[in-house]
Amino acid sequence: MSALPEFEKHGEQEIKYTTCYMCACRCGIKVTVQDNKVRYIQGNRHHPINKGVLCAKGNAGIMKQQSPARLHQPMRRKPGTERGAGEFEPISWDEALDTLSARLQKIRETDPRKLAFFTGRDQMQALTGLWATQFGTYNWAAHGGFCSVNMAAGGLYTTGFAFWEFGDPDWDRTKYHMLWGVAEDHASNPIKIGLEKLKRSGGKFVAINPVRTGYQAIADEWVGIKPGTDGLFALSMLHVLLKNDQFDWDFLVRYTNATQLVVQTPGQKGDGLILRDEAGNPQVWELEKEAFVDGSQVDIKPALFGEYTAPDGRPVKTVMTLLAERYLADEYSPENTAAVTGIPAEQTERLALEMAHVAFKETIELDIEWTDSWGRKHDKVFGRPVSMHAMRGISAHSNGFQTCRAIHLLQIMLGSVDCPGGHLAKPPYPKHIPPGIKPAKECAPNTPLKSPPLGFPTAPEDLVIDDDGNPLRIDKAFSWDAPVSNHGMMHMVVTNAVNADPYPIDTLIFFMANMSWNSTMNTAEVMDMLRSKDENGEYKIPFLVVSDAFNSEMVSFADLVLPDTTYLERYDTISMLDRPISEPAAAADSIRHPILEPDRNVRPWQEVMVELAGRLKFPAFTKDDGSRKFSDYKDFIVNFEKEPGIGFLSGYRGKDGQSHLRGEPNPKQWEAYIENQGFFLYHLAPNQQFYRYANKDYLELAKHAGWVGKTDPITIEIYSETQQRFKLAGQGLYDGPQPTKQEHKDRLTQYFDPLPIWHKPLEQTRIDEDEYPFYAVNQRPMFMYHSWDSQNAWLRQICAQNYLYMNRQKAESMGIEDLSWVWLESHNGKIRVQVKLIEGCEPSTVWTWNAIGKQKGAWGLKPEANESQKGFLMNHLISELLPKKGDPIDNITNSDPVTGQAAWYDLKVKITPAGPDEQSAWPQFDEVKATPGMSESPDQLRYHAHKPVHLNRDIRDVLTRGSLDDEKN
Amino acid sequence: MHPAFSVILFTVISGAGYGLFLLLVAFHLAGIGPVMSHGELIAHGVAALGMITVGLMLSTGHLANKKNAWRSFMRFKTSWLSREAVFAVLFYPFAAIYGLGVLLQGHEVGPLAAVAGAIAAVLAVVTLFSTGMIYGCLKTIRQWNTALTPANYILLGVATGAVAFAAIASVFGNATAMHAGVAIVLLLIAGVLKGIYYFWISRVTGPTINTATTFNRATVRLLDTGHTAGTFLTDEFGYDAGKNTTDTLKMGVFLLAFGTPILVFAAILSGVPAIVAWLGLVAALAGVIMERWLFFAEARHVVRLYHGDQHT
Amino acid sequence: MRLGLVIDMDTCVGCHACAVACKQWNTSGTTGPLTDYRPYGEDPSGVWFNRIRHYEVGDYPNNKTVNIPMSCMHCEHADCVNVCPTGASYKRPEDGIVLVDQDKCMGCNYCAWACPYGARELDREDGVMKKCTLCVDRIYDEQLPPEERQPACVITCPAHARFFGDFDDDASEVSRLVRERGGVKQMPELGYKPVNTYLPPRITRSIPTDDVRANTLITSVKDWVNKMVAR
Ligand SMILES: Nc1nc2c(c(=O)[nH]1)N[C@H]1C(S)=C(S)[C@@H](COP(=O)(O)OP(=O)(O)OC[C@H]3O[C@@H](n4cnc5c(=O)[nH]c(N)nc54)[C@H](O)[C@@H]3O)O[C@H]1N2
Ligand SMILES: Nc1nc2c(c(=O)[nH]1)N[C@H]1C(S)=C(S)[C@@H](COP(=O)(O)OP(=O)(O)OC[C@H]3O[C@@H](n4cnc5c(=O)[nH]c(N)nc54)[C@H](O)[C@@H]3O)O[C@H]1N2
Ligand code: SF4
Ligand code: SF4
Ligand code: SF4
Ligand code: SF4
Ligand code: SF4
Ligand SMILES: [Mo]
Repeated sequence: MSALPEFEKHGEQEIKYTTCYMCACRCGIKVTVQDNKVRYIQGNRHHPINKGVLCAKGNAGIMKQQSPARLHQPMRRKPGTERGAGEFEPISWDEALDTLSARLQKIRETDPRKLAFFTGRDQMQALTGLWATQFGTYNWAAHGGFCSVNMAAGGLYTTGFAFWEFGDPDWDRTKYHMLWGVAEDHASNPIKIGLEKLKRSGGKFVAINPVRTGYQAIADEWVGIKPGTDGLFALSMLHVLLKNDQFDWDFLVRYTNATQLVVQTPGQKGDGLILRDEAGNPQVWELEKEAFVDGSQVDIKPALFGEYTAPDGRPVKTVMTLLAERYLADEYSPENTAAVTGIPAEQTERLALEMAHVAFKETIELDIEWTDSWGRKHDKVFGRPVSMHAMRGISAHSNGFQTCRAIHLLQIMLGSVDCPGGHLAKPPYPKHIPPGIKPAKECAPNTPLKSPPLGFPTAPEDLVIDDDGNPLRIDKAFSWDAPVSNHGMMHMVVTNAVNADPYPIDTLIFFMANMSWNSTMNTAEVMDMLRSKDENGEYKIPFLVVSDAFNSEMVSFADLVLPDTTYLERYDTISMLDRPISEPAAAADSIRHPILEPDRNVRPWQEVMVELAGRLKFPAFTKDDGSRKFSDYKDFIVNFEKEPGIGFLSGYRGKDGQSHLRGEPNPKQWEAYIENQGFFLYHLAPNQQFYRYANKDYLELAKHAGWVGKTDPITIEIYSETQQRFKLAGQGLYDGPQPTKQEHKDRLTQYFDPLPIWHKPLEQTRIDEDEYPFYAVNQRPMFMYHSWDSQNAWLRQICAQNYLYMNRQKAESMGIEDLSWVWLESHNGKIRVQVKLIEGCEPSTVWTWNAIGKQKGAWGLKPEANESQKGFLMNHLISELLPKKGDPIDNITNSDPVTGQAAWYDLKVKITPAGPDEQSAWPQFDEVKATPGMSESPDQLRYHAHKPVHLNRDIRDVLTRGSLDDEKN
Repeated sequence: MHPAFSVILFTVISGAGYGLFLLLVAFHLAGIGPVMSHGELIAHGVAALGMITVGLMLSTGHLANKKNAWRSFMRFKTSWLSREAVFAVLFYPFAAIYGLGVLLQGHEVGPLAAVAGAIAAVLAVVTLFSTGMIYGCLKTIRQWNTALTPANYILLGVATGAVAFAAIASVFGNATAMHAGVAIVLLLIAGVLKGIYYFWISRVTGPTINTATTFNRATVRLLDTGHTAGTFLTDEFGYDAGKNTTDTLKMGVFLLAFGTPILVFAAILSGVPAIVAWLGLVAALAGVIMERWLFFAEARHVVRLYHGDQHT
Repeated sequence: MRLGLVIDMDTCVGCHACAVACKQWNTSGTTGPLTDYRPYGEDPSGVWFNRIRHYEVGDYPNNKTVNIPMSCMHCEHADCVNVCPTGASYKRPEDGIVLVDQDKCMGCNYCAWACPYGARELDREDGVMKKCTLCVDRIYDEQLPPEERQPACVITCPAHARFFGDFDDDASEVSRLVRERGGVKQMPELGYKPVNTYLPPRITRSIPTDDVRANTLITSVKDWVNKMVAR
């Protein structure tokens, strides 16, 4: 036996902890560095998010660090060259920042909204939002409007928390999990960890998705739904629950507005609003007193069902009555929904009843004492162990807001909201419904906004429109087009700015957003728009600034490029003021800090933001004497306070680092985070972990920590008065702003509803569905993050070309063969793609991986790379505006009419075989040029952090040791 | 399997060389056929050793790390490749002693040279057998994993050797009916065996995509191999010749490797000048190269099941 | 000892994390670097020890997708070792790990031919055969914390679909899983006796619905009588 050599020289290695940023899941990583090279990136097993595991992307961090596409220095478009040609000349940081701050200064002094600042898949909205607020432009938003605002809004207007990053299934206790339209999501690792727990404990996993790959592969039951019909499916299950008298009566009475009374005066002002007393308290019918009482009191016995006449003579009904009347109707019976959803009636009924069984016959009881908001003590916590999670399969449809509400409604009926085994909130959620912030409406020179650019309207008064009802924001968020667009509408910015609709802008800053390619709808035309000039030969978007770390497709369109660092090279915070890394049972936030020194002339965007804020003398960044408050980003994070004691990082506050959640700035806060492996975890006591909408101890903590503004209980809104107010405005029955255009009136009356509705996705109402018979959707591949990872030498080996996947039997019936090329055509254009046949796809659906297709030459890829020669983008087919019909709706965004959520997955297409000389991807675009400083991408890679260690076996070993069979002989 | 040209040439040429050597020793020492002149003996010997040596040199052509080729003697205990190498090398000293005897003593070699020659002849066959077993022992490739494989290697080697033997003899005017007869018989047996082999591999047996994936009760289809481009595995095992090509080539094998040389020898027997044996040799070598190419091209490694083949 | 992996096909979501973790660890490992060819060009390729393949079982709508990660099975009857002429390939009697000694390999590919599971890949640049080492450079490294003395692929798997352990030890987690879950081997008919074992998809429990079906279905709001539930 020869001994094994010493393989790793640990003495030469250093271990550092930070946060992964190969995607937005924000896992903790443990990085082994040797010789200023990364030896190994592994999951941090103490980290709340990933508990030691790491996904494929996270494991490929080394190759991101090696990427030939990394930008090297600040650059400006070469004078005399055209925008989009990708001709750049390097400039110094001083020059770059001087140019930019001079320009911004002028805008700020005159008309601040002429700066539009939009950010993509970043995790620093707390900072960029603050920056925009301080600058004084409401033309700011992050990517949420094209990403998943429907999920956020659907939840925040219903339960006070949401799917997306605001809640999690109780994976440890759930016995039944329904996953709606999720391929990967932001909780990439947590969902995988959770699904395994569920399966190991014998729970059932049901996946609702037109495609069976990824998570759906391991589903115990796959429901291959037709895209865009989930709302109807959910409401049909609700119908079954009602029919069989299966709902959580106690829960509905205690924690929701199900017992509140709704005024029933159709055609009159006030119709559909909650009956309130003078003080504004919602009224319920008290069964013992047989009288109307304030429904926010406790120890009353309100009627769940019933119709009454209010003291003022108006007829009223309980919310639950309205709900039951609506969903008991035949149109929601499984037999009647089957044709639309494609789900057999038997299955819809059985799934609903299975959930009822698990919720009500397998209830969990935990001996946890807790106190409710009214000070009453309880000695037990009850759990309905049915959980759900939903994401972009729901969100990316124009009916997604309503569908999301319908799914939450199912959970509410089952009583599985923030209870053991159900859907749990993650601090700082839940919040009051909706959160109390309203979008800023006014911009004035040299003045910060009065409130943040984004917020939560509850009535037409909150819209960001002028007196004539026209949009004020460049993306037309919070206008009649999409009143509740909480996250803005980034997908409309380029189109609107180029059309000067509502007005022209001066400077557009894109940070971390590939808006000329995969992150935009209608890619080819958007590229043209970015290049378009007015009659004077000036660019319609006069100045375009791009902050990117890599030579993406977007970079070529920049007038000024500010190169960022990689995630291993910078300080960063994942802040409690944003969407932190909390777990249901613990509040948590985290940081990044430099693991490697950048070898290029690049600066973190965080530093650039703070620097610009200082130069422009934003009040929050400037001392009374006019000097700078913060020397750099680190200093800013330590010392900035949003309100006394509340800053970007919630842990290790106070002079001694001992105050958590709230406390004075701690000059050694960064050091404390670094020492604690890059994160801070504040465990909630068992009595603070459930029913947090009405949990005294939790809400007091939440108020202390600044997560909520008041400790009042949060009443779950089955019935959304916000929705009704906008509907009334559409009906002309609202005391306050009302739309003047017929199309807006129609949209408000049709698509707003206080109880969830299902309607056909909008695109489908404006095209000939017989002509475009296929639904076309995308999925996130688990091993790629949007456009980022085609530059990753390891990840692109897994997939460098995407295909159009279609149901095998369907394809065969059309004579379409595996690997053949076809034309895919929508109302907005056509592309040529290669087909792969698959069993696991609903027959009328086709799909592909998102963002694999690349522009030739981008991302450090060679011109012959598969991504550009054979891969494709579905985006060309998707229009940012609704299909043209020659009516006023032609110019309305292709988005959810409630939230402005981009309706990516409403797309319908037709498929025709391509000709024999059409065997490649189309369209093709000009080659993206390398930028200064980039070196030629290598033809071979042999990455290693240290030399391989020889096994050094001696000759005797070689001669005598072969297989085990040898030994046995 | 990807047909590596160096391996094809190696096995064909050295195979013929070993066959030639075997016939030389048999005719010479066992006294079969006419007595050979000193010159003819040397010619046969040089040709045989030359073919063997060229073949062996070619065989290292496909090694990715030639500097370690010498290590291939190490695992004689378990590896047929190692055994082939050992036998191939072991062959040389005996062949050399025999060759030296022939060189110095002509036809009437002494007992030492004779015994060495006999041992070398046995080693030639053993080497051929080992070469066959390199392929024959692989359970991963059902087309190879049969006794027919080493039998084929030996018989094709000996048969092409016989053709070469006759061709060289013809130069010395010494090709007799015996030469022709032996060649015809060997070619016939080898041809029949090849026919049996082709029939045998056409019957599908062994692992399927179901046993490979462990899902035995329904149709299993590949959805994605997990890599867009080819890998070492697809390069090495992914070769697909197409049935038309292989069918055509099989006809070519029978025509060139067996049909033509047999006809040639039949012609010689019926009086055509023996020098046409060279035509037979060219045809036979071309035919066997085709045969060898097919041997690889038709071999379907079980890894292919993981890349979507339903069976091998 | 008979060390190897158990892979749970019931929870493997096919995410490729284990494959990339393996690549990452091993490119600086004992048989590293693992060369990548045309990393930014057409048809990028490279040397990997662990590859994830995706299959569909059955026809739509009765189809099931399965993900099958595959690396060296550290076969008991390792023909890859038997056929290796140089002795570069060997199986460690003490733990059954099959290794390639890079210094001895001549790059003849013969072992790859003998391997039914596609576990061996030639590094064209180095000219030597490479394969899963079962992370021999982690599992015996006493300077690593005990919980990290596990293969990189096992540590990283987000779906906890991978387990490492001693199959000779009846009490080990791998042995227990194989027993309890009816572990299966790929192509057992070839007789390689692969150590790595796969766990088949679990059979889901059926959930009763009789006890939540109403005897008479509710047809109208009027069918409900209010209950006295205190808020
Ligand atoms: N690996 C990886 N992780 C990521 C990302 C990434 O690029 N790569 N991106 C991150 C981002 S920005 C986001 S927004 C999240 C999104 O995470 P996901 O929500 O997982 O997003 P998609 O991949 O769009 O998945 C949509 C799923 O819904 C299905 N689907 C489509 N239409 C319907 C429908 O009408 N009904 C139902 N039931 N299903 C439908 C699709 O088949 C697909 O499986 O992922 C984040 N995480
Ligand atoms: N067809 C279709 N299109 C879609 C979707 C879909 O499902 N289908 N999904 C949509 C969704 S949900 C989203 S969120 C968007 C994603 O939209 P984006 O947020 O635009 O995502 P990416 O394209 O991954 O990355 C944007 C840019 O960030 C840059 N970047 C990466 N790291 C850094 C860094 O450290 N610093 C800086 N400054 N820049 C960096 C990248 O180089 C890239 O140019 O795509 C949308 N587009
Ligand atoms: S899911 Fe993967 S890429 Fe995203 S943060 Fe976690 S390890 Fe990194
Ligand atoms: S990491 Fe785990 S879940 Fe992902 S492919 Fe590997 S075994 Fe499967
Ligand atoms: S899987 Fe292949 S390489 Fe690994 S031991 Fe078995 S035969 Fe050898
Ligand atoms: S390639 Fe290397 S390890 Fe494989 S059989 Fe040949 S010498 Fe042995
Ligand atoms: S055990 Fe190690 S070498 Fe083997 S597949 Fe896993 S990570 Fe790769
Ligand atoms: Mo997103």
